[in-house]
Amino acid sequence: MAEQPTGLRSWIFTTDHKKIGVMYLVTALVFFVVGLLLAAVMRTENLDMARKTIIIGPYLYNVFFTIHGAAMVLFWMIPVLLGFFANYMIPLMIGAHDVAFPRLNALSYWFYVGSGLIAVCGLILPGRLDIGWTGYAPYSLVGGANTAFYVFAVHLLGASSISGAVNFITTIITLRAPGMTWGRLNLTVWGLLGAFIIQLVGVPVLAAAVTLLLFDKYLGTSFYNAFKGGNPLLYEHLFWFYGHPAVYVVALPVFGIVSDIIATFARKKIFGYTSMVIAIMLITVVGFETWVHHLFVAGTLNWSRVVFMWATIFIGVPTGIKIFNWLATLHKGSIELTAPMLYALGFISLFTIGGVTGVANGLVGFDISVHDTHWIVAHFHYVLAISMSMLIMGGIYYWFPKFTGKMYNEKLAKFAFWLTLIGAMVAFFPQFIIGYDGIPRRYWKLPVEYTPHMRIAAIFSYIAIIGFFLTLYNFLHSAMKGKPASSNPWNSKSLEWQIPSPPPFYNFEKIPVITEGPYEYGKPEGEAPKGH
Amino acid sequence: MQRIVLGVISALFVLLTPLTAFAQEKLHDPAAGWYSHFNLWLIISIVIYLVVTIPLIYFPFKYRRKKTNQDGAYIQGNTALEILWIVIPIIITLLLGVQSWALFTEYRTVPKDAFEAKSVAFMYGFEMTSPEGITTMNELRVPVGPVKMNLTSKDVIHDFAIPHFRVREDMLPGRTTYLWFNAKKPGEYPVFCSFYCGTGHSGMLAKVIVMEKNDYDEWVKKQKGASEAAAASPELMGKELLDKSGCTGCHSITGEVKMGPSLKGILGKKTILADDSTVTVDEAFIKEKITNPEAKRIKGFPPVMPPTQLKPGESEAISAYLKTLK
Repeated sequence: MAEQPTGLRSWIFTTDHKKIGVMYLVTALVFFVVGLLLAAVMRTENLDMARKTIIIGPYLYNVFFTIHGAAMVLFWMIPVLLGFFANYMIPLMIGAHDVAFPRLNALSYWFYVGSGLIAVCGLILPGRLDIGWTGYAPYSLVGGANTAFYVFAVHLLGASSISGAVNFITTIITLRAPGMTWGRLNLTVWGLLGAFIIQLVGVPVLAAAVTLLLFDKYLGTSFYNAFKGGNPLLYEHLFWFYGHPAVYVVALPVFGIVSDIIATFARKKIFGYTSMVIAIMLITVVGFETWVHHLFVAGTLNWSRVVFMWATIFIGVPTGIKIFNWLATLHKGSIELTAPMLYALGFISLFTIGGVTGVANGLVGFDISVHDTHWIVAHFHYVLAISMSMLIMGGIYYWFPKFTGKMYNEKLAKFAFWLTLIGAMVAFFPQFIIGYDGIPRRYWKLPVEYTPHMRIAAIFSYIAIIGFFLTLYNFLHSAMKGKPASSNPWNSKSLEWQIPSPPPFYNFEKIPVITEGPYEYGKPEGEAPKGH
Repeated sequence: MQRIVLGVISALFVLLTPLTAFAQEKLHDPAAGWYSHFNLWLIISIVIYLVVTIPLIYFPFKYRRKKTNQDGAYIQGNTALEILWIVIPIIITLLLGVQSWALFTEYRTVPKDAFEAKSVAFMYGFEMTSPEGITTMNELRVPVGPVKMNLTSKDVIHDFAIPHFRVREDMLPGRTTYLWFNAKKPGEYPVFCSFYCGTGHSGMLAKVIVMEKNDYDEWVKKQKGASEAAAASPELMGKELLDKSGCTGCHSITGEVKMGPSLKGILGKKTILADDSTVTVDEAFIKEKITNPEAKRIKGFPPVMPPTQLKPGESEAISAYLKTLK
């Protein structure tokens, strides 16, 4: 058994999945803070709708929402889930010493850092990116933005994502411990597997899309130039072919983490494990057939809009199965409301608002009136941005004792949770009203009658942001000065809790032999568990 | 349990039948159809939200842990329940989907007698052309009744959204898209660009003015007379140039500050440039601003003005018009 090396060099050159995971977490949190600060500035700019600059003016406003979107989706949510949670938890949950390709894993992380630095250049260097996180042609071609920042950031991040996907899909297939059947995997692992499959299929398409953008802008080709025989809609199609499934890249691991938290704190087997797995895989596949709903008013063919409406609203069915299975798991459970559990329940509540409004956006006749309005902004902040960021906080709390060996401050955690939940619940609701009135998004200033709406939105978003900062403070303070935690403070039956905290180098002294699933709480003698 | 499942399913199918019949009925006004679609969706969504959140709040209290490490009941699943919450969402999905499909068909099927106008978007404004060939900037006049808009763009992608009529469609360079709406009552209705198009995006506003048929015909007659008069007078020609080229979309003639400074009393005025130097606005300055707007940027305004080429005589006509704006 090798000794665990220490010191700065041991972090930079590490191929240990746990250290890489922690580096992903720290880097992603930095981008989360950047995204929050940009949001705070934009909300402040919206305090008064008179056409006067409050802090940044229209140009910087556009730059800020571009980097806010990119930082939150590409550099915070996807890396924290597919970087931190996948890296740290998958080998522990399947009973492996490390991932299948440890060096490739380290390379993925450093590609991600490089990509993040290029994105930061897009915020601060001349030729700032004001093209939206989608980088739509032709504006990204004819505007003043240095689109190369965008293209190269996506390329590097794509290389990171593809190698991560190859690595973890291989790990999950080949490195499961003896007895760790597909029916005994944690739902977190299933969710991550779905997400990695999407990354593997989708990211190359996005890389192709932005490569053509680069050729058009700097080499004079005209893939997207309508006046030279190109077609700007091609970019929208290619972008959303990955861009929409990217939402499920975030959602599927989050669904898995919610299941793990609920099973542990209700001390109850996940209700309908098999249907949970089928739902994850259905979303993975059908998620690729929905992208045209982003082009519902883009002059696409009428019949294609109807076809994609059916695929889009059908996604609501497997998602609904998951929500009802969670509720059924709570039923007759033995529930303890710790901070992670509060986050899981708060997530379900916020996510359901986002879910039902998501069905509305998928309905092609409904969408015509709210497409690209503040309704959409409200919808995706409920369904994705804030609900999933909150659940990620819950996930970090849940495994905090595992990866730090310390206990977090429970009181502060709960206080920050309520601040964030109340802030999030109220902050985006006025935008449903603005969007119902059909007012477009990405507006530096709205018509003046919406000043009160946006003031409420601003105040409550500040509250949510303060909640997030308190949570981050709790992480930082507890990681350094928290009380030592036992190896299994939640008394969970899942495999990652059966080893010391923090786990030793190479995790398991001897690869364990698995005899039952991770959720077998209160199993009566002699009853055969399903799903094995 | 199975009986309850079957009961709920058949009840929902009974509900589905009249609603699909309603959906196939001709609506004649997509906006009105949109509101009933919204209401059905809203009722279903509120019910779903309550069905989820009530147990979500109730269970943690009802089933709170009483002893350390006490386990919950060992329940692995329930086939009947799981089928129930597969089938009910499918039925709801079908219900909303069929209604939406019918509404969408209405949105995309233009009545034969529709008034047909055209709009060309640019950064940052809408050029509107009436069927009589009258071109206006950021202002479309239409008679009461169904209106079809043919849409395209000169530069990047824009969008033509009229929230009041609950319609929108993107305006793409190099191709023509369309939308239609039923303008029932005379009045002014705001138009927004709903597709992010750059720094001036939030200022890319216009309006649709719906008029009684007689008022509209009179307006057309007056416009035709006006362009003949303009040919004879430089002031009128200048005004027409500013209106038709979209200048007044960002530069008001009333003193109101929009995306750019107002043109009221601008000739002879002293102004501060972005580099803090002071210049007097004269004819040469105006001419340079139009042909090369970024060379001398006025302090406090974003760099969004597109350059425009001037034909001989046009600069003089514009200056003549600006002199009249005191």
